[in-house]
Amino acid sequence: MFAASLDALQPRRRGVVVALLGCAAATAVALALAFGAMSIAIADLLDGEGLQRTVFGQIRAPRVVLAGLVGGVLAISGATLQGVFRNPLADPGLIGVSSGAALGATTLIVLGPALTDALGVLSFALPLPSIDAVPFAVPLAAMVGAMLATLFLYAFSSRYGQFSIVTILLVGIAVNALASVGIGAFQYLSDDDQLRTLTFWMMGSFGSASWPTVIPAALLMALAATPLLLACRELDLLQLGEAEAFHLGVDVKRLKRRAILCSAAAVGAGVALAGMIGFVGLVVPHLVRLLIGATHRYVLPSALLLGATLTILADLAARTLVTPAELPVGLVTSALGAPFFLWLIARARPR
Amino acid sequence: MRALAWAAAALLGWQCANACDAVDTGADSARLVVAGGSLTEIVYFLGAEQRLVAVDTTSNYPAAARQLPSIGYVRALSAEGLLSLDPTLVLGEHDMGPAEVVAALETTGLPIVRVAETASAAGILAKVRCVAAVLGLVEQAETLIEEHLTSVVEALSELSASAAAPVRAAVLLSIGEGAPIGAGIGTSAHGVLEMAGARNALADFEGWKPVSLEAMANARADFVVMPQRGVTSAGGVAEVLRHPAVALSVAGREDRLIVMDGMELLGFGPRTLFAVLRLAELLGTRMPSGE
Repeated sequence: MFAASLDALQPRRRGVVVALLGCAAATAVALALAFGAMSIAIADLLDGEGLQRTVFGQIRAPRVVLAGLVGGVLAISGATLQGVFRNPLADPGLIGVSSGAALGATTLIVLGPALTDALGVLSFALPLPSIDAVPFAVPLAAMVGAMLATLFLYAFSSRYGQFSIVTILLVGIAVNALASVGIGAFQYLSDDDQLRTLTFWMMGSFGSASWPTVIPAALLMALAATPLLLACRELDLLQLGEAEAFHLGVDVKRLKRRAILCSAAAVGAGVALAGMIGFVGLVVPHLVRLLIGATHRYVLPSALLLGATLTILADLAARTLVTPAELPVGLVTSALGAPFFLWLIARARPR
Repeated sequence: MRALAWAAAALLGWQCANACDAVDTGADSARLVVAGGSLTEIVYFLGAEQRLVAVDTTSNYPAAARQLPSIGYVRALSAEGLLSLDPTLVLGEHDMGPAEVVAALETTGLPIVRVAETASAAGILAKVRCVAAVLGLVEQAETLIEEHLTSVVEALSELSASAAAPVRAAVLLSIGEGAPIGAGIGTSAHGVLEMAGARNALADFEGWKPVSLEAMANARADFVVMPQRGVTSAGGVAEVLRHPAVALSVAGREDRLIVMDGMELLGFGPRTLFAVLRLAELLGTRMPSGE
């Protein structure tokens, strides 16, 4: 990995970098809370039950929290998976989470009306709204899709390939391909309205954030990301090679299982609410290694902070650049992430 | 506890989005935000455009509507963006969304009216009456309908009844690279053909789908109807007529390609009534006016 040369950094300098990243994250949160389509003064917040207060508390705040968590979780998962696979191109999409979530969401959006009819029969023709129009139904379906895809990947590669890295990579490609078939089939079946809903879901947005969805997702993300943060020492040993790590007492299989299942749960919860957020999981870990070296003990917390910072700022741009409308945030992260990635490569590999 | 109450409110949000028959006509429409092209057209039709503070990106008729601030695409609204306009009422098409954003808007107490859509002449009139009821313009609306729309609706009702040997027509959205996209059952274009007293030649599938050349040849379409935009991007009328999907049909052999403004024909605002009548004349299901 190209940051290896910087590994001789003093621990003190690393501490300073982590602290600076913490400050950056705090600044991003403050900026994101302070600015939005609506101008909200501190006086408005102290003053009773006005509309400004509701917008701040129920619309803007959960959105900032969700953006920070999703960005942080994507970056940690990306860093962990890059470590486990010892491959700089690994990101959460590799283990089928994103395409599984997309398949889940697509299924619900397209089959929603048929499901509604089925439920309507059961409920003796009570007037039901179409399921796909019920808030939170799509995120739940996406979460289920993400978990099913990753569990399948896990079960299949343990049964047929001793859960080796090569098997996981190959099965991951197959799972992604299968999910795309499903998504394509449902897109073909979908009507005009459904197709447009799907398109926007794929571009990602934090616009649907609200406390009732953010709180459970936040708990799930925190619960799933903690084991990843705790695995930093084992991840460092793994960089020596699987056999070497095994002889140093690392339960390699358990480490891989933990990395994959916890990443899937954490990213799945985020993707379910936000749709596709591109490039954070891939770029942020590289950026962090450039700043702080390749030691996972520092990389993982720094990735959490930097991922959160960048995603919160991207969302701030998405919702303030074209007010009163907004841009899909997945578009902003990819538009910023891809050129930046090129810059990183050019910088790390001079001619 | 408060979060829980909010969850319940949000989950029930879809129930609060009024269908039109449940409209509280007392809603203050002084600062109106509209999400949906046909609704904007109706607001202008009713002469209430001075109440508009913003519209969505599908609202591009009349041209003046494009000068208003844009709240983005009707299915991808922004809660805070919309609230920043300080609206008193939101009027939305049936497909306004996402559902979570609409639920969030409702928890702020902002009145939101979702207007139902049926692809028929009666559906268009119902939509006009619904918007009028919400804006408190019921009497003015009846006068305007009587003055401008009643005769057209009557002319259209004769069409749908007198179709003994139906004219077969296929509506294609685009043609050119890849298979042409055709209108099956359940599309706005299907509704338009029915209103015009014609039969949809592509009635063996649902929705907008790519149509194979063989299926087009098999559809026995007497006419092909296309939006202006689709014809322009295909390189003009001559190119469309030369495309195998059209050339192999009766329509292609007889040069029967009808080109119309897509939004006008398929938007299901008041002007769709006039567009359908013109379409009927071109299809020959109605004698040209001044018969």
